[in-house]
Amino acid sequence: MRLNPAHIVAVNDFSEETLRELIAALEVSTEFEHLIYRESELDAVWSIAGFALKDEPNAIRREAIARLVNTAHLAHDLVADRRPREAADKLKSLL
Amino acid sequence: MLSKVENDLLTLTNSGTGAGEYFRRFWLPALMASEVPTQDCPPVRIRLLGEDLVAFRDTQGRVGLMEEFCPHRRSSLFWGRNEECGLRCVYHGWKFDVTGACVDMPNEPPEYGFENKIRTTAYPTREYGGLIWAYLGPPDKTPQLPKLEVARVPDSHRYVSKRLQETNYLQAVEGGIDSSHSNFLHATVDAFRVTDSYVAKVKSSPNLRAKYHLLDKAPRFTVKKTDYGLVIAVRRNAEEDTYYWRMTQFLLPSYTIIPYQKGNSIHGHCWVPRDDETCWVWTFTWNPDAPLSQEDREAIANETFVHAKVDPVTLRPLRNKSNNYGIDRELQRTATMTGIHGFASQDQAIQESMGAVVDRTRERLGTSDTAIIATRRLLLQEIRALQQGNEPPSAHNGDAYWVRSYSLVLNRQVEFDIGAREFMIAGV
Repeated sequence: MRLNPAHIVAVNDFSEETLRELIAALEVSTEFEHLIYRESELDAVWSIAGFALKDEPNAIRREAIARLVNTAHLAHDLVADRRPREAADKLKSLL
Repeated sequence: MLSKVENDLLTLTNSGTGAGEYFRRFWLPALMASEVPTQDCPPVRIRLLGEDLVAFRDTQGRVGLMEEFCPHRRSSLFWGRNEECGLRCVYHGWKFDVTGACVDMPNEPPEYGFENKIRTTAYPTREYGGLIWAYLGPPDKTPQLPKLEVARVPDSHRYVSKRLQETNYLQAVEGGIDSSHSNFLHATVDAFRVTDSYVAKVKSSPNLRAKYHLLDKAPRFTVKKTDYGLVIAVRRNAEEDTYYWRMTQFLLPSYTIIPYQKGNSIHGHCWVPRDDETCWVWTFTWNPDAPLSQEDREAIANETFVHAKVDPVTLRPLRNKSNNYGIDRELQRTATMTGIHGFASQDQAIQESMGAVVDRTRERLGTSDTAIIATRRLLLQEIRALQQGNEPPSAHNGDAYWVRSYSLVLNRQVEFDIGAREFMIAGV
């Protein structure tokens, strides 16, 4: 089923499943409103991952989360620049 | 999150800056008409968009708004004499009319005609809805006045207050559109804890907001771009087959209207940059159908809701940073979340606590911040468009402002913009 870009994806974590949902939403987002929702979702991922990074003791895991934080930031700015498909590609690089 | 470049673009408001030029494309509320009540009354100082200005009402009743400092030696015209259709600097007698033309220069030989060559910066004004509006932009881009319902109701149906806030305008606007804060910042402890007595009280209440906020703590946000700005719709579960919708409008450049429930008065705000670190908070209460009620008058007098009492000279609220907004820690422990009296002071306290200009590169937003994100993006789009030579359409479409916020219960199958359409048009 095609994802409705006018609905906000619930972001409770930064799991692969969440990222896949965000990617799917980004790929069908075209309107101002859609991009606002996508930006809020990426803000949420960036925030959650950023906090997790501070508490992560494992170095390998920390490196992965840091990469996710940076990528979410880049994707966020691409959405702000009305380039959602490029933002989706950035997130895909994490999978 | 915003980049520093974006944050600066939105928050710097002097002449030549992104937001500064954008605000200079709109008529802005500058003064209460009552601040310059009669012909030849004393002049008033006002800072707008980083510019120090002086306002006066001349002998013919016209309101002048000009640079505060005399172009001769830079003395303040606030000390000037308002006389015979002009404001005279008391230092050397130079006199300016409402257009900024120097009409008398008694200390220069008349044969030189020096006064004919001197002007000071003056801005056009309009008197509308009990306020003096100012336009600080290029003369050839003069916009339309916004057709606001509050400006069209009879005086007895309206109350307007003005106060100084010690923050940049944007974080004040963001407070106005961030509806989720009201369940915390403005809540009682009982409401926050959802005590049995509170539940019993609101279940029988005609106040839809109290009732349905209780039933659904995780609302869904929808934003839609409009001719005037944005409508932000917040949806909560109501009954089994219905949703409770609250629609807040954000009207460019910086107005909001609080969701209105039929039968009550409507409330709204406009935040006008005073400079980068302070703003004027204009608060409007109006009833489209009748004079303001006794309940409205009491809320104003007792400062329980959106209005706050101010120092009559500085317009700084009496509850302010210097007295910790009158916080009562015992009240906070037992009755209200803040212990600060009145919604206006609660908003002011929390917004001023964020610093004069929030560093938005450091914030952590979530999906409940959708309205804030939408407002910033819309303003950024508009500011960048103006920088590329595209004038803001809403500034030249006063009719677009003929709107009203609303809150209502709709069948779950009905979208808010369909079900509430007729109620979101102003109706005076």
